[in-house]
Amino acid sequence: MTREVYIRAARQISVQLPLSEGWMDAPLYPEGPYARAVDPDYRHYFAPNVARRLGKLLKRALLTSRLVMEESGVSRPGAIITGTGLGCIENTGIFLDALAREGEGLLQPTHFMQSTHNTISSLVAIDARCHGYNSTYAHKGASFECALLDAFLQLREGRVETALVGAHDEMTPDYFVLLKRAGYLGHAGGFSGETAASMMLADRPGDGALCRLRGVELLYRPGAGGLRRALDSLSREAGVGLDEVDAVMVGANGHPPNDRVYGEACPLLFPGKPLLRYKHLFGESYTAPALGAYAAATCLHRQRLPAHLFAGEGGVERRGVRHLLLYNHFENKTHSLVLLSACGG
Amino acid sequence: MQEEIFVTGAGVISAIGLGRQATLAALREGRDGIAPVRYLKTSRVEFPVGEVKFSNEEMCRLLGVPEAGVTTRTSLMGMIAAREALEQARLPGDGGERVALISGTTVGGMDKSEQYYLDFLENDSRNEYISAHDCGACTEMIADYFGLFSMVETISTACSSAANAIMTGALLLRAGRADVVVAGGSECITKFHLNGFNTLMILDREPCRPFDAGRAGLNLGEGAAYLVLESGASARRRGVVPLCRLSGYANASDAFHQTASSPGGDGAYLSMTGALATAGLAPGEIGYINAHGTGTVNNDLSEGLAIQRVFGERVPPVSSTKAFTGHATSAAGGVEAVISILALRHGFIPPNLRFSTPMPELSFAPAAGGSAAPRHVLSNSFGFGGNDTSLIFSKTD
Repeated sequence: MTREVYIRAARQISVQLPLSEGWMDAPLYPEGPYARAVDPDYRHYFAPNVARRLGKLLKRALLTSRLVMEESGVSRPGAIITGTGLGCIENTGIFLDALAREGEGLLQPTHFMQSTHNTISSLVAIDARCHGYNSTYAHKGASFECALLDAFLQLREGRVETALVGAHDEMTPDYFVLLKRAGYLGHAGGFSGETAASMMLADRPGDGALCRLRGVELLYRPGAGGLRRALDSLSREAGVGLDEVDAVMVGANGHPPNDRVYGEACPLLFPGKPLLRYKHLFGESYTAPALGAYAAATCLHRQRLPAHLFAGEGGVERRGVRHLLLYNHFENKTHSLVLLSACGG
Repeated sequence: MQEEIFVTGAGVISAIGLGRQATLAALREGRDGIAPVRYLKTSRVEFPVGEVKFSNEEMCRLLGVPEAGVTTRTSLMGMIAAREALEQARLPGDGGERVALISGTTVGGMDKSEQYYLDFLENDSRNEYISAHDCGACTEMIADYFGLFSMVETISTACSSAANAIMTGALLLRAGRADVVVAGGSECITKFHLNGFNTLMILDREPCRPFDAGRAGLNLGEGAAYLVLESGASARRRGVVPLCRLSGYANASDAFHQTASSPGGDGAYLSMTGALATAGLAPGEIGYINAHGTGTVNNDLSEGLAIQRVFGERVPPVSSTKAFTGHATSAAGGVEAVISILALRHGFIPPNLRFSTPMPELSFAPAAGGSAAPRHVLSNSFGFGGNDTSLIFSKTD
């Protein structure tokens, strides 16, 4: 007997107003190719020694985690699972830079101690005194979907009752330069952002869940046939026909080689479906798909799709939303499908 | 009753050799792979290490990979180990299987990043290695070498990464998300974590002595290891004979400190008892424990006390094979899973090398090795942040 999975609470810190759904009606549009997240005033949330000790990424992860735990009334989740493409890249970069410039003689432990990817999940567990399952996925642009799939399967099969899923990536000025050289970031038409998104998944809705998570599919180099099979399987297992899906949210970011993949796949897989986007608001980052899922969950909860989410010209706000499908790919290698439904839907 | 999961292939490369046969021979003959630094370009020559005894160029030749191409050491070792596991499991088969690759790594392509970091920042001469830096890139290089995988994931939980990859593999199989899973991990030694561990003052300047009262730290190692996992129905359909079952697994968080274990080993206690519970086994049925046993003062005490809490007065033979291999960090859980399976199948206990003085805090001393017939073997892998995973492998008959 498989169980239902609900998203009970979700919080974000990104280039939009932090810990806010202000982007629905008053989105910010950062200028230039590189934008840092808008941090809240951490002094309101953390003791000074905690705020000083932790880097930005860890502060964002800890705060969004604490808030979704508080809002969902789950103080010790059964699982804490993080997706992060690059982990604590600021600390990693400081240690690497010192190693490259000054050699092996004068290195300090602090940056190394907070440089591993699972520093994030561990910090949240230590903070909550949570001894449950703890894991971290670091797989480029599919890091969040790997974490989400793990949580979804464990909840479906009753291994855990609650799972805190986080998706966290920071982008330092140095690493932006690197990833621009590598061809991933810095293109005209889009911008590089930062992601801190936490969500509480549970097998019961509690008071006022945002939406239901109906399915997660993750594929590697699937080709058109593989995508079609995954879509059919997702639809069949969820009992939601493609005709019932209101819109498809995609990871278009303004960079032609990235967007072309959606341009080719979407008309074949989802003919006639309205397409939504989210990276025009939140920017590109390895775990940006988590902000897409957060945005879709928020729209399902509030029962409306703001006009600015619609891809192309002339989007019109729509009220009443039952099912949203998220489709992301990274470098046309990893592809993911995530189906979310309104709680009453 | 949950569907049983079988291991149908195993591949390994570490400081004690390339492949299962070389690994088995080294374990039986008590030959360790700890030596002065030879392949890593570092000034930290005072620390002995467990390097894989092949250069990148030699591994490229073994694999038929162009030496001039962009392939990191982590990926090369991963390809070698995965190839052996796939060959044993007779994969690729008829092409009908959905095969997933779940790989654990933390340093990923750091070996090139630390070499070219200033080029990355200042010029366009080494851009190809920027995209090869992250953990996922290493897994994709391994996946693309075989062109076999319809799903690929990377786990990064430091020194428990490979063990967690094996756990995730079991979850995917039980949920019907794949027919066959190749799961494990790969990690090369880098200056980054050699120096990082040095700043934490947990490296021994001599070959390490796990569970010895005089232990003084760990030796860094490297390597890769993968298991092929599948259901009994899948193994029968493909006509492959299982090596053993993956009967139990659990992960728990110590929730204590980012780089130290709790005094009583709370996370380790929970992961071991959790694995016993999923396997439906009593502690007394475990015939051998392949301990995490890094050789640090903190780990071996915490893990030893946790073992005592779980097994009471009847602690089965315990050894840390890190005295052979060094600590292969993200790959350690994979390397030690293969060693556990070798112990199970060949009926022996790998010795805990260089042990002389019992730890006064513990009621047990580590195993001296020798013949035995364990039916169930428990393998511990613990990572930074208190990420603790225990796996249990069981005989099939």
